[in-house]
Amino acid sequence: MELKQVSLNASMLYFENSISEEVLNRVLNAFHTMRNIEGIIDITPSYTSLLVEYDTSLLTHTKLKERIKKGLQETSSNITTRQKHIKIPTDYSKGEDIESVAKYHNLSIEEIIDLHSSTTYRVYAIGFMVGFAYLGRLSPKLFTPRLSTPRAKVPKGAVAIADHQTAIYPQQSAGGWNIIGHTDFDDSSSFSIGDSVEFVRI
Amino acid sequence: MGLKVLQSGLFTTIQDEGRKGVAHLGHCNSGALDLYAYKWCQNLLVNTQANALEVMVGLKLEVTKPTIIAITGADLGLEINGDYKEPWQSYTIKAGDILHFSKRITGQRAYLAVKGGFDVPHYLGSFSTTIKEGFGDKLKRGDILPYQETTGTPHARVKQEYIPNYDAPLTLHVMLGYQHNLFSENEKEKFFNSAYETTLQSDRMGYRLSGEEILAKSENLISEGIAFGAIQIPQDGQPIILLNERQTIGGYSKMGTVIAEDCYALAQRGPGCKVRFAPYTIG
Repeated sequence: MELKQVSLNASMLYFENSISEEVLNRVLNAFHTMRNIEGIIDITPSYTSLLVEYDTSLLTHTKLKERIKKGLQETSSNITTRQKHIKIPTDYSKGEDIESVAKYHNLSIEEIIDLHSSTTYRVYAIGFMVGFAYLGRLSPKLFTPRLSTPRAKVPKGAVAIADHQTAIYPQQSAGGWNIIGHTDFDDSSSFSIGDSVEFVRI
Repeated sequence: MGLKVLQSGLFTTIQDEGRKGVAHLGHCNSGALDLYAYKWCQNLLVNTQANALEVMVGLKLEVTKPTIIAITGADLGLEINGDYKEPWQSYTIKAGDILHFSKRITGQRAYLAVKGGFDVPHYLGSFSTTIKEGFGDKLKRGDILPYQETTGTPHARVKQEYIPNYDAPLTLHVMLGYQHNLFSENEKEKFFNSAYETTLQSDRMGYRLSGEEILAKSENLISEGIAFGAIQIPQDGQPIILLNERQTIGGYSKMGTVIAEDCYALAQRGPGCKVRFAPYTIG
């Protein structure tokens, strides 16, 4: 764990440089610890790090370092109790790319659906747009590269996969992920880092 | 009633100091790009918790009830009923007056606030228009900006020494120190010894510069939070200074972070301005 100064009012807390559920839990724990530190304005957690912006009249990089250290010692046994569990009803029957994904992996469409809906995912990061949650990790049998040419329009509610992750497009946008299903789930803005997410076939 | 939009101008939005405490949900800060000018605008009116128009050239407004306004930031040739008015001052306006930001004289973005602020919706604790997040929209002809009627506040102006010169050469001071080891000494030297130019691809998200290409050692970084002023170096080697409507996370290499005051000054530069980088040292 290392706190690096990023600007006069921002620092970055890094955990180790690899993505895992264990690191995610440490990020989540740090996130909840930081929310109780006076003077912090914004926290942006992501896979292995947290960007912290603070009010310089209340905090400095050095003070922040002390508070985080102290806070983490006090809460180290209290990991991941505040995560939500979210179920996403998913219609896999009209996934634009599900056939090509099945072909790519030499699996049947049924097998793709089973693999995707039998894993419980965690929110590793939120970004790209509001409510776009990067969910990991896919079954290694489903690791799929992004489309070589991104779509100009991915519809709202598209359930898609790329590399080792899956996601739901909270709004229509351009995008290069492989669409394997669709959902009416409309509460993406409630996703928070560390939440667990399950896709339920309908 | 309040101010009625007769001409929307190039791009006018309502801004304040930005959205706080929601970055973890994927919301950008948004807010006034030139926070220095914005704060002076509110100071002139002794406003707290208010908002202002972030104006680019061309905006024309009709006043329907009296108030006091303040204008700071760019000099966009504001005319009240055809008479030019200098920025960085407050002015009394009355029903029937026409306000027109007629031409760009210096800077890019002017701030126009009214005493007490505009009575407009706020979203997640901020008045800042953020179109991509569905929070408000740019002003359109026929829009009405309501406010409480006021009279009698004394005229105020910002002292000359506090008014920036947006035509002066700009040096962006950079805090190194968290990813700069992704760049070789040679690349860093090139970065700090070259002149860059602002380009047309500059907006509330960020300013794309053009000049010497800078190569980063690694391209596949784990996505992480992006700070205000971060200098992102994408694969084409051309730096982008990320501002108020940047994405919250990203995986490009970053040379460092431009200090906030210099970002405010950058936001007043139009395309084709020369900028240089210099290391910033604390203390």
